[in-house]
Amino acid sequence: MQLWFQTPPAQRSILSVLIPVALLLVFCCLASLFYGAGEVGPIDVMALLMGGGSDDARFVVLELRLPRTLIGIFAGLSLGLAGALMQSVARNPLAEPGLLGVSSGSAFAVAIALVLGASTATLSIGLAQLGALLGCFCVMGVARMQGQRNDPIRLVLAGAALSSLLIAMTSLLLLYNERAADEIRFWVTGSIAGRNVDQLLSLLPSFVIALACVVYVARPLASLALGERVAIGLGYKPGRIRLIVVFAVALLVGAATAIAGPVMFVGLVVPFAARALVGPDIRRTLWLCLPIGPLVILTADVFSRLVAQPAEMPLGVLTAMVGAPVLLAIVRAHRLPTL
Amino acid sequence: MSLLGGLGRSAGLFFGLVCALPVLADDITVATKYGNVTVSDKVERIVTVHEGALDAAFALGFEPIGAISTRGGDGVARYIQATAKNVNIVGTARETNLEAVIAQRPDIILASYRLPAEQYALLSKIAPTIVPQGEGIRPDGWIREMRVYAKALNREQEAEQILQAVADRAAQIKTQLQAKLPADQRGAALIRWMPQGALVLTSQFFTTGLLAQTGFEVTDSGLIKPGRPHSSPLSLENLSKIDNDWIFMATLDEEGQKALDAAKQSPAFARLDVVKRDHVFPVDGQLWTSASGPIAANAILDDIQTLLNTKVQ
Repeated sequence: MQLWFQTPPAQRSILSVLIPVALLLVFCCLASLFYGAGEVGPIDVMALLMGGGSDDARFVVLELRLPRTLIGIFAGLSLGLAGALMQSVARNPLAEPGLLGVSSGSAFAVAIALVLGASTATLSIGLAQLGALLGCFCVMGVARMQGQRNDPIRLVLAGAALSSLLIAMTSLLLLYNERAADEIRFWVTGSIAGRNVDQLLSLLPSFVIALACVVYVARPLASLALGERVAIGLGYKPGRIRLIVVFAVALLVGAATAIAGPVMFVGLVVPFAARALVGPDIRRTLWLCLPIGPLVILTADVFSRLVAQPAEMPLGVLTAMVGAPVLLAIVRAHRLPTL
Repeated sequence: MSLLGGLGRSAGLFFGLVCALPVLADDITVATKYGNVTVSDKVERIVTVHEGALDAAFALGFEPIGAISTRGGDGVARYIQATAKNVNIVGTARETNLEAVIAQRPDIILASYRLPAEQYALLSKIAPTIVPQGEGIRPDGWIREMRVYAKALNREQEAEQILQAVADRAAQIKTQLQAKLPADQRGAALIRWMPQGALVLTSQFFTTGLLAQTGFEVTDSGLIKPGRPHSSPLSLENLSKIDNDWIFMATLDEEGQKALDAAKQSPAFARLDVVKRDHVFPVDGQLWTSASGPIAANAILDDIQTLLNTKVQ
C-alpha cells in the first residue's frame, strides 16, 4: 500500500490531503482560542468550555479570541483564494495580491476615506474593494505587457513599484492628516486583533458573490492553463474569464483588507503550499487553499500573541517573515513552474 | 630695533584690549552637556529646538523667534499657540531644519538634553547652543533644564520664583485632592489610546510627576522597560492591567471626548472599572505627552483642577 505522501502530488486523491489539513486547521482554531498575550491560559479556557470559568476568561475568549479567530479564518480564506486565482490568471507563481499592489490599492482607498473623515469603525468596505479593483487592473495591465510571460519576476518588480508608490502616497496622507494617522498606521500594519467583528457580517454578501465567481471560473481557468486556444476550443471566452477573476480577486482582497488591513504574502504562501500538496491543477489547488489560508493566518497570529507579551507583534510582520523565504525559494528554484 | 620692539609691544597691547572687550560686556558661562558655553548677557534672538525650552523662554519673559513644531502638529502645541503666535517653525522634534535656523540669525539656541552630538556640532556653529545635562526621563528633568536655560538667559532669580509658584500651586491642589479623595482612591495612570490597545506612559514623566505632586498615586503597572518613556501597545487581553482609580487619556487631536467615545467602542476598554465609573479624563496629548516647562505645568494643573471641580464630589 502506498501512503499519500509517496505518490506524486498531482495523482493524490484530494480527500487524502484535504482531511489531514482540515484537522490541522481545527487544531489551530483551538490553539487560537487557548493561547493569548494575556493571563488566560488553556486551563481557564477548558474550564470555560465545561461551563465554568471566571468572568475575565469568558470575556477574553468570547469577546477577544473568538472574534479574531473568525476574522482570521475569513481573511485566510479570502487571501488564499485570491492568491490562487491571481497566480492562475497571470500564469505566474509569484503573483500575489500583497506583493502586486492590490492590497496597497485597497489600503490607499481606505486611507483617503479616513482622511476625509470616516473612522475605522464605520469603514466603507465597498471603498476598499474599489481600491483593490483599481490595483488589480493596474497589475493585470502590467501582466499582459509584451515579454512578461518569459520573465515572471518582471511582474513582481512592476507590482513592487506600484505597491511602493501606493504606500508612499498613503504615507503622504499620514503627514497631511494627523488625526487619521493613528488609525491608518494601526490599520496599515495588518492585524486581526481588536477589529470590529460586526463588520464580518457586512462582508458576507460580497464574499458569497466572490465564491460564486470562483466556482464559476474554476473549470474555465483549468482549461485556460492548457492554452488560450484550448480554452476557446472548449467554448470559453478567455477575456471574460479574466475579467471575472479580477472582479473576484478585488472582492476578496478588498474585503480581507477592509477587516484586517493589508496582510502580505499570505496569497503567495497558501497556493504555493497547496500546489506542493496536490499539484498545479487550479481546481484542486483552490480546494486546498480553503483550509490552508486560515491555517497560515491563525498560526501566524497565535505566534504574534506569544512572542511579545504583554504586547503583541503585528500579524503582517510574521506573515512577511514566513512569506519572504518562500518567495526567495520560488525565485531561486531552477525552473519557475508555469501555471 | 627698539622702534620695532615698541611697535610690537603696542600692537600686543592693542590686541589684548580688543580681546578683553567682550569680557568687559559681562558674558555668561554656562556648563552644558557639551562643555562650557559662553553667551552674551544681552541675547535678543532666541531659537528653541525643544518644546520645553520654548515654554521656559516665554515664561522667563522672552519672545523666542524660532521653535520646533509639536509632535503630531504643524505648529507649536495648542496650549502655547496664543502666546507664541509670532514664532517661526524651524523643524520638528526629530529633525531641525538648519537653514531655517540660520535664517533666524539667532544669538542663542536652546536645545533638549537629547540633542545628538552631530546636531550639536552643526547648531553650535550657528550660535551658542545650550544643551542641559540630562539624566534620562525623570519627573524633575524640566526643572533642571529650566535652571540651565535661565542661567544662559540671565534670569535665574525669575526662574526660581516661577518654579516656586508651580510647586506652591501643586501643593495647594494636593490639599484639595486629599480633602476630596480618600487615600485608597488616588491611583492614576496616563495612557495613550490606540485602536489596537493602550500605551502606558512612565511614572517618571514630566506630566506624571505633576500628577504625583498633586497627590495622585501614579502607577505604570510594571509594564515599562527602564529608561523608556512608555510601554508597547498592550494586547487587548492585558488591558485590565491599566485599570485604575483614574485614567488620564491623552489624544493627539482636540476632540478628546470623541476619542474617548471611540475607545469605548472597544469592548475590552468599555469593561474596565475605571470606564464604567466614568473616571477616564481625556486630555490634550500635545500638552500632556509632548510638552514640558512651567507654562505647560500650569496648563496641566488647570486640567487637574478642572477634574477635581467637575468629576470629584
